[in-house]
Amino acid sequence: MRGVISRLNLRQRTITRIILSIIVLIGIVSSGLLIDADRLSIDLEMKNSAPSLEHLFGTDWLGRDMLARTLKGLTLSMSVGLLAAFFSTGIALFLALLASWNKRMDQFVTWLIDLFLSVPHIVLLILISFALGGGFNGVVIGLALTHWPSLTRLLRAEMLQIKSAEYVGISHRLGKSRLWIARHHIFPHLIPQLFIGFILLFPHAILHEAAITFLGFGLSTEQPAIGVILSESMRYLSTGLWWLAFFPGLSLLIMVALFDLLGKNLQTLLDPFHGQKR
Amino acid sequence: MRLKKNAIWIILLVLIFLMSACSNTADIENEKSEDELILAIGGEPDDGFDPATGWGRYGSPLFQSTLVTYDQDFNIQNDLATSYEVSEDGLEWTIVIRDDVTFTDGEALTADDVVFTFETAKESGSIIDLSNLDRVEGIDDYTVKFTLREPESTFIYLLASTGIVPVHAYNDNYNENPVGSGPFQLVQWDKGQQIIVEANPDYYGEKPFFKKLTFLFLSEDAAFAAAKTGAVDVVSVPPAFAGEEIAGMQLVELESVDNRGIMFPYVSEGDETAEGAPIGNEVTADSAIRQAINVGLDRQAFVDGVLEGFGTPAYSTADHLPWWNPDTVIEDANLQLANQILKEAGWLEKEDGIREKDGLTAEFTLLYPAGDQIRQSLSIAFAEMIKPLGIKVTTEGKSWNEIEYLMYSHPVMMGWGSHDPLEIYNLYSSKTRGIGYYNANYYSNPVVDDYLNQALRATSEEEANSYWKKAQWDGETGFSAQGDAPWAWLVNLNHLYFIDENLVIGEQKIQPHGHGWPITDFIEQWRWEE
Repeated sequence: MRGVISRLNLRQRTITRIILSIIVLIGIVSSGLLIDADRLSIDLEMKNSAPSLEHLFGTDWLGRDMLARTLKGLTLSMSVGLLAAFFSTGIALFLALLASWNKRMDQFVTWLIDLFLSVPHIVLLILISFALGGGFNGVVIGLALTHWPSLTRLLRAEMLQIKSAEYVGISHRLGKSRLWIARHHIFPHLIPQLFIGFILLFPHAILHEAAITFLGFGLSTEQPAIGVILSESMRYLSTGLWWLAFFPGLSLLIMVALFDLLGKNLQTLLDPFHGQKR
Repeated sequence: MRLKKNAIWIILLVLIFLMSACSNTADIENEKSEDELILAIGGEPDDGFDPATGWGRYGSPLFQSTLVTYDQDFNIQNDLATSYEVSEDGLEWTIVIRDDVTFTDGEALTADDVVFTFETAKESGSIIDLSNLDRVEGIDDYTVKFTLREPESTFIYLLASTGIVPVHAYNDNYNENPVGSGPFQLVQWDKGQQIIVEANPDYYGEKPFFKKLTFLFLSEDAAFAAAKTGAVDVVSVPPAFAGEEIAGMQLVELESVDNRGIMFPYVSEGDETAEGAPIGNEVTADSAIRQAINVGLDRQAFVDGVLEGFGTPAYSTADHLPWWNPDTVIEDANLQLANQILKEAGWLEKEDGIREKDGLTAEFTLLYPAGDQIRQSLSIAFAEMIKPLGIKVTTEGKSWNEIEYLMYSHPVMMGWGSHDPLEIYNLYSSKTRGIGYYNANYYSNPVVDDYLNQALRATSEEEANSYWKKAQWDGETGFSAQGDAPWAWLVNLNHLYFIDENLVIGEQKIQPHGHGWPITDFIEQWRWEE
């Protein structure tokens, strides 16, 4: 295996990694979607059993299969992450294009970025999610409203560079409107950054979702979210039911790492600057 | 470069180990003497130690003493009182108190203090309901007369649970610096951490064996861990921990009326409360649904599955108390009978296995307070258990704030259990409909109302108890599962404690709602085994 990998060049290796991580992620989602409610039902006879061949991740205090719950939870986390990252990217793009309007707008956007970055993510997230009454909507909106600043800063820098390019100046002097320039010159150049930023927002969003759910401000305890599973399992750690926290936690970590890997490799593939760096 | 990084990690790791080692040794260091006890039974009172605002309703008020008390079998015993008398019409209660009692600050306890206590409690608008008390007056220094608006046989339980506060030392800070005539006095209260109490040397009653008690307020996990290191003598634990072994400690299981049950909205939809919350639920308003659920449930399965066996099946809110009617025990886990009841009432099964009657689907959402793990597990298990009946239940965890709005129109997993039969009145009387959490399902039955009123008006406990029993089931109707079944009671939790092997706590009462303080009820009698 090692031989095969080293014989590939950087580009081929990158593509292999991307394909592999996409396959695993799709596997998680599709298995999570395919699990029907019966697998999640309780079975008091089987409660608190340690990991075995029948229940790979063990069962909880109501005899629910932890593997099924974990997969459901990961799928839920992923959909939360998807929505939140999508909206966040949307906000980032809008603000970056807004900053290209004029100096005052640019100052306003920079000020907004600084404002949001000066408060820790998680605090703001709890505030927003709590104010919106928690639940799925609260979490998604909270995540969307807190995860845009760093991406916006990146996009704005990119935008400033493009804006100072000669052909943009020529377009301007030829009488093209600002909107036209934003659409035809700036936006196409932002797409690679936007896409990678979108992917790299995922792990953040998912981890923060799990974090505030763990703290009790996020998804309701009905949903098999990873954060819920983890916070419930804390009560059973002292009686030795380690598998309740270990496997779901590890799975979350693996999924987040996969997204990170995917994002980094896409960056290598799409962004010429990163592509040359070893 | 790489080596340096590794070295930093190793040093960090070592530091962490060292730090945790330090904190461990610190705990074990404090040596304690023979007549001291350390308890971790949770339940720090947020409002402090003022009996006028509710302190001491469960367990011993520690710092204050009450006019009368219960013994282990719920007989009334004199404490501060030497005798009490109720007038023929049940309106006037005359109580003679001891003349040799002093507060811990040296001042004598007189009728003035009793009068002051009840007047303060009445005005405090707290959990203590004294609205029926018309006036209280001192006849002489050691005689007090209570005059009620209406006869109330349960008034004696208020006398048994309200500690007497001194009129001369009562101020806004009293809840943090309680002065009383109880077996103990407060030495120190570190909020959020612990209280330290010492025996009152001038206590008029049986002197407690233990001279110093420390109550630690720890989370369940921390308390359990502390017990394992031998740092505490008494610790309350949830059922999940009860299977563990702790060296030098034994598990004590106390039966309780700390029950859990489901309150079903009793009336049809349509009305609203004054706050605009909807009242009623079409599905649970049908008595066939409620009765079928009561009959179909396997209560023992809840005890074994959810409570790990540490509990008993519950059939009423007052199982095994003197005013409990044993006829409320029904034969449950009978799916066949339950299905029959539903079928006869016109609830017919559709293709998907869920019943329907006149276009109404047999489904509802069961609410439970989020964060209460036992109620959550009971709710999920309940939904699963009655699926075979063709009733679809979804469960949802909500905050108490949300439940307060939704409880009139949704079944809720509640918990009650009191040493005061007034609770029965509050739960089932038409008069209390929509007041607080009690009768939030709007139950009402004129026959039951009649019995409840007679029970309140009774002048002796025996007479009152006979009416309390009739209200539950008189052979034809009642509020128990045999009758109208506005509730499905599921389980009584056993209260679980690990206590030092050599500690004797004696016989305990059937414990009320609330895990923790009730065990302190007879704490004066605790001692080491000889």
